Amino acid sequence: MTHISTHRVRRVAGTVSTDDIIPARYKHMHTDPGRLAPHLFEAYLPGFVESVRPGDAIVSDSVFGIGSSREQAVSTLLANGISLVIAPRFGRILFRNCWNLALPAIEADTGDLSEGMTISVDLERGEIRSEGDVIAGFPKPPLFLLEMIASGGLLNRVKPSPSGA
Amino acid sequence: MKRRLKSGTPLAEQIIADHRDHEDGPVEPGRIVTATPDRIYVQDGNAPTVARLYEQYGFSTVFDPERVSFVFDHSVLVANVDMADRMKDADAFAARLGVDVRARGQGISHVIAAEAEWFTPGALVLGSDSHTCVGGAFGALGLGMGASDIVAAMVTGTTWLRVPETVELRITGTPTRAARSRDVLLTLLRERGQEPFLYRSVEFTGAWARDLSSDASAGLASLGVELGAKCVFVPDAEGTIPTGTAQGVSRIEFDISGLQPTVALPHLPGNTVPLDEAAGTPISYVFLGSCTNSRLEDIAEAAAVVRGHRVRQGTQFVVTPGSNDIYRAAMRAGHIDTLLEAGAVVTPAGCGACVGTQGPLPARGENVLSTMNRNFRGRMGNPEANIYLSSPLVAAVTALCGAVPGVEDLP
Repeated sequence: MTHISTHRVRRVAGTVSTDDIIPARYKHMHTDPGRLAPHLFEAYLPGFVESVRPGDAIVSDSVFGIGSSREQAVSTLLANGISLVIAPRFGRILFRNCWNLALPAIEADTGDLSEGMTISVDLERGEIRSEGDVIAGFPKPPLFLLEMIASGGLLNRVKPSPSGA
Repeated sequence: MKRRLKSGTPLAEQIIADHRDHEDGPVEPGRIVTATPDRIYVQDGNAPTVARLYEQYGFSTVFDPERVSFVFDHSVLVANVDMADRMKDADAFAARLGVDVRARGQGISHVIAAEAEWFTPGALVLGSDSHTCVGGAFGALGLGMGASDIVAAMVTGTTWLRVPETVELRITGTPTRAARSRDVLLTLLRERGQEPFLYRSVEFTGAWARDLSSDASAGLASLGVELGAKCVFVPDAEGTIPTGTAQGVSRIEFDISGLQPTVALPHLPGNTVPLDEAAGTPISYVFLGSCTNSRLEDIAEAAAVVRGHRVRQGTQFVVTPGSNDIYRAAMRAGHIDTLLEAGAVVTPAGCGACVGTQGPLPARGENVLSTMNRNFRGRMGNPEANIYLSSPLVAAVTALCGAVPGVEDLP
């Protein structure tokens, strides 16, 4: 299985909370990610959502996704076509939620990734390339997480327990 | 289900090892293993999404209805028709599954988790809310997770866990009289940042942590997620929750001698400054509530401050007890009467105004001072409000003054 994908870099700056990604009140109103999608970064980066293209990668310079457990932060990114997140560090629950929903969350130094740059990312090799050159590296994710991506997310791997009545 | 925690091994590793679903290798930091929780609880902000995922993936059962609870705490007084519809979805879903239900007004999931003894020493508890880390005040490994994780655990009775590294956080010294446990934690966050704690299990040690009351300890543990930790453990005087004796664990020392009460400035909990640096900031809305500070000790402290005084004209003081049991205990002790006499608004138990899913919403440009755990922009439902954070002591004095007090103004 290969895990090479191409993305356009979209930079975000500073510590980003899940409240910044999607305010809580919307997730209490809607469960359909399509209804949440227009509110991505609504207060944090007004107007950003209109410029997102499918395949964009969110690239953070700081801790990304601290705070609440809301998986809707990840489903809202996915509903906008975001297909990769790169940050030096992640909020732990957001990190889980990303992989659980088959959105790779890569821990890497992002200093050399600039806004609008096209990158290709090889999960197996732990390499980020721009115009053929490796511009950043990261430890290869555990097999368990790579398999999660291959199966399209955690719930595709779940079979009800035989003890469940 | 009481279990014994030993000294000598990191607590998170002990609890994970004790809950293995099957042998999938050693429990060592960094490894991913499968574990079976003692309890799973779902709060109402995520229950509708859990219901949708069940439908989408064709699931219909839970591994054990006795070990799954739905708590309706975030949207107690629903003032939005879409939210009302979602709550109906969640009510119907919980009834269909036959799980334990804690209805609106019973309290915050993490407060109920202690009262109902889901949090006991050695227990593994999953909650669909980041502040499930409160469990560490009771010796439980409480892990906040998102909806898919919770669904997977509800269906299979298992979850995947990456075994955390453990760090000992040794607190030395004694803070000043008016500093509370949250002041210590947010000062630590300000000074050290999240980096030393991110993803880790943090075991507090030292006399200060050991001697905290249960309420103060729960408030401290709730802030573990703001520190970036996976979980925190706070020792107790009885030694039920031993910490700090594990071999090969790195240690961070933090001296709190002379530590002052604090206020976190907008819009991050780590923007914490000593109280005097924020003194004089006008505040027109004070909120006492949330899984950090809404317990009996917090309400008692606020009542003692306002007794015989009036909330400042032009300032609203909203108090939301953490649970129905706390509300009634506060009522029996006369605290509710004292607060009402002073002009406070006391709401039904739950998460209250913390997360903007119900009122009161702050006005545009309004300065709010709150005892909750985080002040991210828009947290209370209005991105144009400025949210400050403090202890209940500072909050109650602020309600009387209409401005952040200085240390000298505290009783």
